[in-house]
Amino acid sequence: MTTTVPTDTRRAHALLGVDGLTVRFHLRGAVVHAVTDLSLTLHPGELLAVVGESGCGKSVLAHALLGLLPRNATVTGRAHLHPPDGHPVDLIDAGERHLTRHVRGRAVGLVPQSPATALTPVRSGRRLLEETLRAHGHTRRAAPAAADRIAADVGLDPGDLDRYPHELSGGMAQRLATALALAPDPPLLLADEPTTGLDRPLVDHTLDLLRRRCDTGAAVLLITHDLTAARRVADTVAVMYASRIVEHRPTAALFDAPAHPYTAGLLDALPDRAFTPVPGHPPMLTDLPDGCAFAPRCPRATDACHIPPRLLPDGAGRVACHHRLTPGAPA
Amino acid sequence: MTDLARPPATTPARTHPPTRVRAGRLGAGVAVGVLAAAVAACLLAPLLWPLDQSAVDLARTRLAPSPDHLAGTDDLGRDVALRSLYGLRVSLLVGAVAAGVATVVGGLVGAVAGTLGGRLDRALMRVVDTVAALPHLLLGIFVVAMLRPGLGAVIASIGLTHWLSTARIVRSELLSLRTRPFVDAAISGGASRTRVLTRHLLPHVLPRLALATTLMVPHAVWHETALSFLGLGLPPHLASIGNMINDGQRSLLTGAWWASIVPGLLLVAVTLALAVLTGRWRDRLDPRVRAELHL
Amino acid sequence: MTVTTDDTVHGAAAGGLAARRVTVAYGRQRVLDRVDLHIAPGETVGLRGLSGSGKSTLARVLALLHAPDSGHVTIDGHPVGGARHRLPAALRTRVAILFQSPRSATDPRLSLADLIAEPLRATGASRDQASARTADLADLVGLTPDLLARRPHAVSDGQLQRACLARALVHRPDYLLCDEATAMLDASTQAHVAAVVTDYQRRSSAGVLLITHDPALMSRWATRVVDLPTP
Repeated sequence: MTTTVPTDTRRAHALLGVDGLTVRFHLRGAVVHAVTDLSLTLHPGELLAVVGESGCGKSVLAHALLGLLPRNATVTGRAHLHPPDGHPVDLIDAGERHLTRHVRGRAVGLVPQSPATALTPVRSGRRLLEETLRAHGHTRRAAPAAADRIAADVGLDPGDLDRYPHELSGGMAQRLATALALAPDPPLLLADEPTTGLDRPLVDHTLDLLRRRCDTGAAVLLITHDLTAARRVADTVAVMYASRIVEHRPTAALFDAPAHPYTAGLLDALPDRAFTPVPGHPPMLTDLPDGCAFAPRCPRATDACHIPPRLLPDGAGRVACHHRLTPGAPA
Repeated sequence: MTDLARPPATTPARTHPPTRVRAGRLGAGVAVGVLAAAVAACLLAPLLWPLDQSAVDLARTRLAPSPDHLAGTDDLGRDVALRSLYGLRVSLLVGAVAAGVATVVGGLVGAVAGTLGGRLDRALMRVVDTVAALPHLLLGIFVVAMLRPGLGAVIASIGLTHWLSTARIVRSELLSLRTRPFVDAAISGGASRTRVLTRHLLPHVLPRLALATTLMVPHAVWHETALSFLGLGLPPHLASIGNMINDGQRSLLTGAWWASIVPGLLLVAVTLALAVLTGRWRDRLDPRVRAELHL
Repeated sequence: MTVTTDDTVHGAAAGGLAARRVTVAYGRQRVLDRVDLHIAPGETVGLRGLSGSGKSTLARVLALLHAPDSGHVTIDGHPVGGARHRLPAALRTRVAILFQSPRSATDPRLSLADLIAEPLRATGASRDQASARTADLADLVGLTPDLLARRPHAVSDGQLQRACLARALVHRPDYLLCDEATAMLDASTQAHVAAVVTDYQRRSSAGVLLITHDPALMSRWATRVVDLPTP
């Protein structure tokens, strides 16, 4: 388990290095600042959770990494993927054909948000799984045994594998979708709100699956609005606010001693803490303030906040704030 | 992986739109051009062309295309190019009105079945199934035979055979909309049955209905052509594409191919252009093709 | 917080929204089997149960949107016959429901302002009355005028759920049913929604049904918790 947020010295061994990723959507008469100057590194065996309120841009991050953005989007920056047994690829520059053949599914797996709609309804779970396995190098004879093994891995009974997606409960569908994402053994898994709508035992089960995947060497980028889920499984947590990462640090440190006032506010909103909302409203992504985007809601804001704070190292993590809460290492 | 390899509902952000999109735009451009030219020619032909389309000139029958007669003349010496434009006018008019009739009939049946449901729905749908089981053209011929021949009979024949698909579309749209939580929310908020229908259900159905109507126009034009070709459609003196192809087949054996090929090609070009444009429109309505912004 | 599986202790008290031996089946599958539940004015009943135990169906039955196959719903001790349009609007609007997914619970063609005003317009309020009340409610749930002019696709889930909450409160319901209403929301929006509901409840002594998978939220918000057995 990683205990500190990786710094540049370890970037050489990183599986994914995102650098200055910026995504803009061009609408009629407005530009949506969906992701701004986002940098992060992800190592094999690391589970990074990106949390934030709905509409902060965290989901766009996952779509950008898979090249699945609508036509009105422009993407700048770099996202280098270094698969252990393949050529490095820049996910931003790679063409559609390269992404389809070598990246999606193979190098980067996606655990979808709503498994019920992500599964082809006319094929049984077994056929879906065997097709996926054979598309990724298993022979016709080896596929059935491998399918059983992977199903068992995710806690799916081999008998349930013969059912069609509509015959599966929400939890079984989620396990099947996860099995499909895991089947090609991708070194990087993106999980975009994988637990929405599941009840607690299934949430925990899905999260534990992701955690086990990390422990066997893959890296997972978990995108979620659920702080409790992030706390349960993540090594490090990145908090996004108004298209930027405002704080990123090891999970325990983030939950025990948040440095950014927004993180602190978000944690205070948890029902087992103060249960009070962060005052004010998040800014429109089409109309972000010039300085710190959180300043209008921030109890500690001063004139200094008109200058946008940079994401700088702070103890074991990174924070973008002029008035951080804990006396961390000097910037 | 199934969910990743799906056709890109969202396409990559970077450079230019993919080839498929550019080809689609080109096709739509050509279609718009063809339609605009055909409609303009239909409307302006009587003004610009000094000839009378029905003028019989037995001295100048079956003339090959020439500067005087761009598409030659038929076996009665009538100008084929001009007559084709008049024919297209009639065919498009019949097609549009018949599609309108079919939409009204189908829309009403579908709306009643989809809104009231229950036994009435089952009865109406069995009627639809029964009518759909009969061959369209045979049924159309039967309708024409029952009525006095002419424009009205042809429109009735097409309208009464083509409403089935519209009824099915409207009914199924309404049935799936009725179970959506936003309809629950409207009912819970106190909306009456009528208000739910007019304010929450129909506005969602209307675009689909308009699309179905437009897609039906080429179909109706071909149906009219088939009836006229069989001699059951419009009276022979009225220029329609079907009549012309029917008349022209007599000249085919004598080598005067232009008398039926020219109106035929015109019909193919115009209906194809209509189909291409409505196809584009349908793609835009389809939420999977429409690029949506998820934040 | 007390945990009870048997609801009869609350009996058919004069006030309250109640399910009495409610059974619902889809085809052969029984989703609810003789379920009793009572929500008294002013209390927040937490409803717990596994996926597939029929929590959402029970909420729809209580919201008068689904007629049970047997058993019935009572409001203030009076049995309610039928559901949906069989009931007068004045009765339907006494119970409001907030769904998990605001996306599917809103008509994509209407602006947020129209969404909130729609129940008022549907029951005969004038445009001016409706817009005045919409402005008040928007303020209450934390929607800016700029957001009110937008359509659902141009706002986030959190903002849309706030609009749904405003719409649910527009008729000042006596009962509000929250079916996983905050499951898709971030912690801050969830806390805000809970605060708005609790505040409304204090002023109007409405009864609230809270369906949630989150034990922390349940123990913080509910005043009483009921377990729904899997049939």
